[in-house]
Formats: sequence, structure tokens, C-alpha cells
Amino acid sequence: MDLATAIFVGTIAAATPMLLAALGELVVEKSGVLNLGLEGMMLIGAAVAFWLAISGWGLPLAFVGGALAGMLASGLFALLALVFLANQYATGLALAIFGTGLSAMIGMGFGSQPVATLKPLAIPLLGDIPLLGPLLFRFDIVVYLTLAMVPAVWWWLTRSKSGLILRTIGESPENAHAIGYPVRRIRLAAILFGGAMAGLGGAYLSVAYVGIWVENMTAGRGWIALSLVVFAAWRPWRALAGAVLFGGFTILQLHGQILGLPLPSEALSALPYLATIVALVLISQKRRRGMEVPASLARPFRPGA
Amino acid sequence: MNFSRRRLLQGSAAFAGALALPRLAAAQDVLKIGQVNASPAAEIGWSKQHALGIEAIKAALGDKVQVTVVDNTFLPQDAERVFRDLASQGHRLIFGTSFSLGQPMQKVAPQFPDVAWEHCSGIVHLDNLGTFEAKYYEGMYIAGIAAGHMTKTGKLGFVGGFPIPDIVGPGNAFLLGARTVNPDITCSVVFLNSWFDPGKEKEAAQALMAQGADVILGMTDTGVCVQAAQEAGVYAVGYASDLTSFGPDSQLTSVVLDWSSEYVGAAQKVLDGSWTSESRWDGLAEGVVTLAPFNAAIPEDVRAKLDAAVEGVKSGEIQPYAGEIKDNQGNVVVAAGEVLPGDAVRGINWLAEGMIGTLG
Repeated sequence: MDLATAIFVGTIAAATPMLLAALGELVVEKSGVLNLGLEGMMLIGAAVAFWLAISGWGLPLAFVGGALAGMLASGLFALLALVFLANQYATGLALAIFGTGLSAMIGMGFGSQPVATLKPLAIPLLGDIPLLGPLLFRFDIVVYLTLAMVPAVWWWLTRSKSGLILRTIGESPENAHAIGYPVRRIRLAAILFGGAMAGLGGAYLSVAYVGIWVENMTAGRGWIALSLVVFAAWRPWRALAGAVLFGGFTILQLHGQILGLPLPSEALSALPYLATIVALVLISQKRRRGMEVPASLARPFRPGA
Repeated sequence: MNFSRRRLLQGSAAFAGALALPRLAAAQDVLKIGQVNASPAAEIGWSKQHALGIEAIKAALGDKVQVTVVDNTFLPQDAERVFRDLASQGHRLIFGTSFSLGQPMQKVAPQFPDVAWEHCSGIVHLDNLGTFEAKYYEGMYIAGIAAGHMTKTGKLGFVGGFPIPDIVGPGNAFLLGARTVNPDITCSVVFLNSWFDPGKEKEAAQALMAQGADVILGMTDTGVCVQAAQEAGVYAVGYASDLTSFGPDSQLTSVVLDWSSEYVGAAQKVLDGSWTSESRWDGLAEGVVTLAPFNAAIPEDVRAKLDAAVEGVKSGEIQPYAGEIKDNQGNVVVAAGEVLPGDAVRGINWLAEGMIGTLG
């Protein structure tokens, strides 16, 4: 594998867990709900998936379990935010902290051995094409499914009727309610979807990417996914671009260190963050409308009021 | 069940009473020992090796001691409170197991002159605050010789947490050992600037392997490098714990830290009344640094050389930091015929010739 291919393959794999979580959160926020608890849900998903994998349930079930665990955690958030109308910022932060602790408890005793990680798909003919073969067909199945989620979420949000309803609720829950849409039920569905995607992101990290459980192993990827949604201006394609940009600079700086670039490693480690900020500044200069933020974001909705 | 406040209070009072009874009776002749860890309890790595130290005390001294362990004490202000609490509760020997616990220990120790304080990897030494540290570089030097024999590409990889002397020094020793086999071997260096980011660690190991490194040394606190090498079919060297479970075929050896003699020694001395604050720095000879069993893939003649090198380092015949050594900018850092003194080894802030990377 030559260097360029290695960097490309590394970038896409590094971007995958963040992209999964970011796509989920994007849908949640489009419905007008802000769930800051991504880091916690990812960790719970990672711990539960690792638990299932190391107990011999196999990787497919580990992924299902991770998604369900993330969903369950987001259900707790939904209960507090939708039913008890709790402040969404505070509830989300609480979920992040709770998830960190709970995952550490679930993961107790798992630190002494690895699980076999997901292998790249061996696509018989396509994988052998010179140049393109290794570039396009070197990934595991979850990477392809994640990449497929980008157009799927985009199409659903912008082209389907149910996507339109979700966006309406995000802009004006009162109007949607007056027309007769079940605002809270749809928001609940969005939150659960976001939880499942975050759980999948965590599961990808623990059982497919690293294959080892370490306490707090997401190491901030949930927070990065959260900022990717803003970076992407709530558009799925831009979330993909942001995740690849961030993952790409992470991998590039590692290769830069190995090649002996005469720069301090601390500065190189900060590169992905700097690149993201620079990109954000460039994008925001071109954009004047400011219409992307869902108008009711983080505002609780009380049907009777 | 209905938890009223009164009931809860009754319950806790009874519970506290039950706990206090045997303690009061035993308080006279049992040595209470405290251990404070910055990181969470873990199954492998730095914290685990310190937990084994406590186990060794229990095994050696049994009911003469009573141990309290406090994990996850990362913030200095938390640590100060925890140290003060332990000392006030009658602990007479208190261990702090992370460099970051140094300042709180230096602050609290003078306030409790009757307590014996032991700081692992500390550098400041007070009347009642001793320090102990391992000569990691001795083990890394031997592991480097093994790597030098086993590498096919002549490129080694090093993944370190942070560019600090405790990481940089052993990294240099690893390459110095390898270069005794073949002076053209190089070692690429990656610093993660994090102790716990297994995702990034894996990316670093994969990047090193993509650039041709075929023996990876990971000085972080996980088994990721050993496992990544196993997946890619190359070799790795572990650190802190024996990481064979992460790479039965990939781990050449691991530089394992065995603190039990430090822990049991200190406890025994406090019991005898002979404890004084010392600054201990022990290695292969004292058994604080040990090597995990060599990989079966290492040929017999190489093993004999490794065993001989271990004996040489133990006896002092082999000095890993014997000159002439140049840094990777071409400056002579240890002159020919000289050996780098201990203080300079503990403060190493240069990368040896052949190390590809920067310290920033």
C-alpha cells in the first residue's frame, strides 16, 4: 500500500465514527431538539458492543446492541426533554457525564484482552483494479453503510414528505401542531435515531476500529461530531466533508511526524482543529442568509400552551 | 420500599458503628496504608502494576496492614483533599502513583510529619517524602536489541504519549539497543499528546507501519500497538504490563514494571520503624524492571545474546548511555568514553541520532 492510499484509507476510517454520530445529531437538531450527550451515548454504545463482542455474540449483534444501547440512553434524554420539558442543554450535558460513568462501569474487566476487529470486504474483481481498487474497495462494510447514510439522510430530509414534516417541526412546532402533526412523537423518533447512530459510532470505534476497550475511549469524538453539525450548517454532505477534513488532518499530522517534519508535535496535533476553524471561517464568509439553524432549536415545546 | 430520611440516617449510623468497632480494636497494631492513583483502575498498564504493588503488600504482610485505595484523582485540588483525608484518618504510609500528584504531596506531606509519603516517578524529595522510579531505559535497551535482530526493513516505530523525559529517554534507549545490531536502523517517533486515545494510537501505529516500520514500541497505557502489529503481521514491544494477550505472535517482549519490592520494602520499614525518605531509582538488577518472556519467533542464538545483555546491564558492564552518542541534529551529547550521569538520563530532552521526529 503506497503512502497516498494509506493516508486516504486512514482518513475515511478515522472519519467514520464521527460521521455516524454527526448524521444522527443532524436529524435530531433538524427536529428542533439539541442533544449534547453524544459523547455519553457513543461511550455506552462502545462499551455494550465490546461486551457483546467479547462474550462471543459476533460483530453484527455487537453493532445492533451498541445501537440499541445508544437508543436507550437517548430515550432517557427524550423522557426528560420532551415529557418533563427539562432544559435541553443541561439534560444533554448530564447525559454526556452519565454515559461516561456508566460505560466505565459496563466496561469493568474488559481491559485485558482485545476482540478481533472487522476485516475489509474482499470484493473479488473490483478490489483488483489497479489504483482505484485499493482506493475504493479497501474498507469494512460499516464504512460503506455509513457513506451510504449521507445521501440517504440528505434525500430523506429534503425530498421526502416525512422529512419535510420533521423540518417543519424544527422550524415551528406550534404550526406543525396546529396542522395536526404529533410534534413530540416525531421528535422522540428523531432523538432515538440520533441515539442509535451515536451508539453505532461508538460501537464502530470499540469493536471494528480499535478492537480494545479503554475507559473513556471516544476521547472527545462525540464533541467533535457535535461541532461537525454546526460546521456542516445542518447539511449531510457538508457533515461528510467536515468529518473527512478532520479525519484527514488527524492522519496527515501523524504521517508528518513520522516523516520528521520539523514542527512540534503539539502544533501538529492541533492541526485538525485549526483546519476546521479555518474552513468554518471561509464558509461563513460566503454565507449571509443564516437560515440553516432550525428556528426552534433547543426550545421545549408544550402542546397545550 | 420507602426510604425516609430518618430511616436512612438510622441505617447509616448502624453501618458506621459496625465499621468503627473492629477498627477501634485494631487501630493500635495495624499499619494503615493509602494509595492514590491519578487514573482509573485498569486491567493492564501503569495503574495495574501499582495495584499489583498493593497486592504484594497484602500477600507479604497480611493482617498487619490495612489498605485504602483511591482511584481517579486527577485534579490537583482533589488530590490535595484526598491526601489530607487519608493522613487525618490515620494512614501512616501513603503512596502517590503519578507524576502529576507531586505538587499536592509536597504541599500536604510537611503538614503530617509522622506520615511516610512515597511518590512514584517524583523528583522532589522531602524529609518525610520519598520517591521511587524505574530505569525503563534498561529494559527498552534490551527490547531494542531484540528489535534490531527481528526488523527486516531497518525501520522501527515509536508511539509515545507526550514528549517528556520519561518517554523520550526510553525511546532513545530502544534505538541505541537496536543500533548495536545494525547502526543503520532508524526509528520514527509519533507523540499522541494524550495517554488515553486508543483510536488515535491505532492510527499512529498504522501510519508507522504504512511507512515501513516493522517493530512498533508503544509507550502509552494501552495494548493497541501490540494488537495493531498482530493484525498487520509485524512485531511490537509492550510497556508496563505483559501485553501478550493483545498480540501472542507480535509481542517480542514487554518492559514490565514490578513495583512489589518498592511497596513491600516501604511497608516493612514503616512497621519496623526504620523508614527514612529515600530517592530510589531501580532497574533490571533490582527486579523493578523485568522483561516479559521473549517471543518464540526470536532465534535461539539471539535469545542467548539478549540474556547476556540483560546480565551485562545488571552487572553494570553494559551502559546503554555510554558515549559516543549524538543527538539527531548531529551534536555530541555524550562524549566518547563517558557515561551519561543519572540526573541527565532522567532529564533527557534530545532525540538520539537515527530517531526521526522532533520534541517541539
